[in-house]
Amino acid sequence: MFHWLEKNPFFFAVGVFLTIAFAGAVTILPNFAQSAQPIKGLKPYTVLQLAGRGVYIKDNCLSCHSQLIRPFKAETDRYGQYSLSGEYAYDRPFLWGSRRIGPDLHRVGNYRTPDWHANHMWEPTSVVPGSVMPAYKHQFTNIADVETAYAEAVTVKTAFNVPYGDDIKPGRAAFDAYYKAKVLPAALKIAKQMKNKDLIAQVQAGKIPEVVALVAYLDRLK
Amino acid sequence: MQSNAAMEYDYSIVKLYMWTTVIFGIVGMLIGVIIASQLAWPQLNYWLGEYGTFSRLRPIHTNVVVYGFMISGIFVGFYYSAQRVLKVSMGESKLLMTLGYLQFFLYLIAASGLVISEGMGITTSKEYAQMEWPLDILIVVIWVLWGVIMFGLIGMRREKALYISMWYYVATFLGVAMLYLFNNMEVPTQLLSGGLGAWYHSVSMYAGTNDAMVQWWWGHNAVAFVFTVPIIALIYYFLPKESGQAVYSYKLSLLSFWGLMFIYLWAGGHHLLWSTVPDWVQTMASIFSVILILPSWGSAINMLLTMKGEWNQLTDNPLIKFMVLASTFYMLSTLEGPIQAVKSVNAIAHFTDWIPGHVHDGVLGWVAFMVFATLMHSAPRVFKREIYSKSLLEAQFWIQTVAVVLYFTSMWIAGITQGMMWRAVDEYGNLMYSFIDTVNVLHPYWVIRAVGGTLYFIGLLMFAWNFFMTATAGRKLETEPQFRSPMA
Amino acid sequence: MSIDQLSIYLYVIGTGITVVVFYSYIVYLYRSEKRGEKDYEKYGKIALDDEIDSAPVESNPDSVNKNKE
Repeated sequence: MFHWLEKNPFFFAVGVFLTIAFAGAVTILPNFAQSAQPIKGLKPYTVLQLAGRGVYIKDNCLSCHSQLIRPFKAETDRYGQYSLSGEYAYDRPFLWGSRRIGPDLHRVGNYRTPDWHANHMWEPTSVVPGSVMPAYKHQFTNIADVETAYAEAVTVKTAFNVPYGDDIKPGRAAFDAYYKAKVLPAALKIAKQMKNKDLIAQVQAGKIPEVVALVAYLDRLK
Repeated sequence: MQSNAAMEYDYSIVKLYMWTTVIFGIVGMLIGVIIASQLAWPQLNYWLGEYGTFSRLRPIHTNVVVYGFMISGIFVGFYYSAQRVLKVSMGESKLLMTLGYLQFFLYLIAASGLVISEGMGITTSKEYAQMEWPLDILIVVIWVLWGVIMFGLIGMRREKALYISMWYYVATFLGVAMLYLFNNMEVPTQLLSGGLGAWYHSVSMYAGTNDAMVQWWWGHNAVAFVFTVPIIALIYYFLPKESGQAVYSYKLSLLSFWGLMFIYLWAGGHHLLWSTVPDWVQTMASIFSVILILPSWGSAINMLLTMKGEWNQLTDNPLIKFMVLASTFYMLSTLEGPIQAVKSVNAIAHFTDWIPGHVHDGVLGWVAFMVFATLMHSAPRVFKREIYSKSLLEAQFWIQTVAVVLYFTSMWIAGITQGMMWRAVDEYGNLMYSFIDTVNVLHPYWVIRAVGGTLYFIGLLMFAWNFFMTATAGRKLETEPQFRSPMA
Repeated sequence: MSIDQLSIYLYVIGTGITVVVFYSYIVYLYRSEKRGEKDYEKYGKIALDDEIDSAPVESNPDSVNKNKE
């Protein structure tokens, strides 16, 4: 048998494939359905929060920040209740990160205010002396891509049955209506909490700066 | 066999990949030096507006080094050595040559697309799989082309037995194909939303914990099938050929092959210890990570013993130096990895600088050293010229060795320091340090790391110069050297 | 039977088979060489003697040459 395998490249390749596929099949598949279950009362991200999540990914905050509180006393003292699988059920993609150059953010909404974030994103050392985090001033002028976030919400609702309301539906007309009725008011509320006149003015003019969406997302992390 | 007398191996595709190896190596490692310095001196974040911040540059660094420098180097090794161990020339098939050129140009497009999209912040955020769906499709095409070329060469080979390097190339092809496809399952958002939003944007088919499992099943095994398996293929060809010594034990090489194939895939979960993935998955990952020492060391010891009786070559041939140190670093990082995968160690090590430290002693010491040796061994055969400078090669070796040691020692200390400070409590059980305390204490280590990175980069520039001069100005060779590469 | 149990059985049986196959491969490698049926170490020479016109360690009957002649 072995002799034959060494001489037949095709069946050799099949043998290699089965060997490497075995582990994945055994470890990933069995828990798949269970791991996808949300915890009770978990709400999907709003479109504004999704847009902020997009900013988080675009500026790759996960280079330095994790979103995973491990079950140790030192971590729960510092960041709060340890993370549960069901809390991530609407996270596509997951944003656990792999390196904490900065602190964990999984429950940052519990102890930082939008006002604090506004100062921190503009000039990190103004609120955390000694911080090595770069300032993200461009987020105050770049406009958040709410349309893509909305498209994402429609997609996960249709493809994966994420429980969004009936007002999230395909098409530009639906998006425009939703943007005016739901997204702008939510953004204005956050901008006001951020106590930044320029941001408030931009939102009132119908544009949502990236940082407003980002802070809406960070504020939701609880 | 008379008709073969005038025939030669065709190295035209090898040459193309050699240049991309050098260029992507310089770009990727330069960005590495920049981001290492940004941590030590944060004011360096502002030289290019939003495009110059640490967070934007870090994925460009990892991707250019992995998919630019390493993959190019692996393709150099493949297109060079596969022809030779199969005793068949690419030039014997017009079709394969065309596919080879096509593969190279698609690769160039994909690699540049990757750099540009990363710079603009277009990313799926999954580490080592940041490409959005249009690039994913392109990469699948490139990979399939590579497979077609590989099995095409195998189909027309003169040497019936497949040399062990070919086994590893086949495994690289299959492993990456399977992992990449499953990890990049995503739905383009324009598809179901009536054409809203950015056309390149997509959303992952998996959510939360499942997404993490699939991602690290890929992430870890990208390490397996890009940093390890093909590099072993390289060393099994280039070390014996350069030294003139056959592999110490061919049987051991076969055994460690199957061992590695079976065990590696289990270990992915060790990136997720203490997370929300099921406990038994974590435990299995931990156990198999430790077992993984066996096949890894099987290969490494086999490489070192290949030099048995010929250790004098180590002193007078810098290429042997590179390869022997590479296998030593391979042993170091395959011992270090399992240690970090033990749950109690991982509790301290995870999320700290010890992890990038571990990655870098593997990639700088093992992968990059093998890539340098591969290029320098092939250059005299490909360009029919002597290596330009032996002393430059020697100097590069020592500078880069010191650089790697500076890098990983500083990261070990930084990682363990920070890990211990995060959990330090006073006599009443209160946390002793605020988070920023644990960051500021790292400054000296980050400076040392930046210095180490700079030294390594200087070594790379010496290599690039040496390689360029070899290709253009080295002394012409009349006959192809059999074993040892000639150098001035 | 729940999926958890199924995966446990799958795992135990699969690993068992793999271990048996792996060890019988070791036995096969060394035994076939002892009996003189095979010589694995000669394959190591493939890397050393790799000129395009040097004689293969084992000739492939389906190679390009056949088509040419």
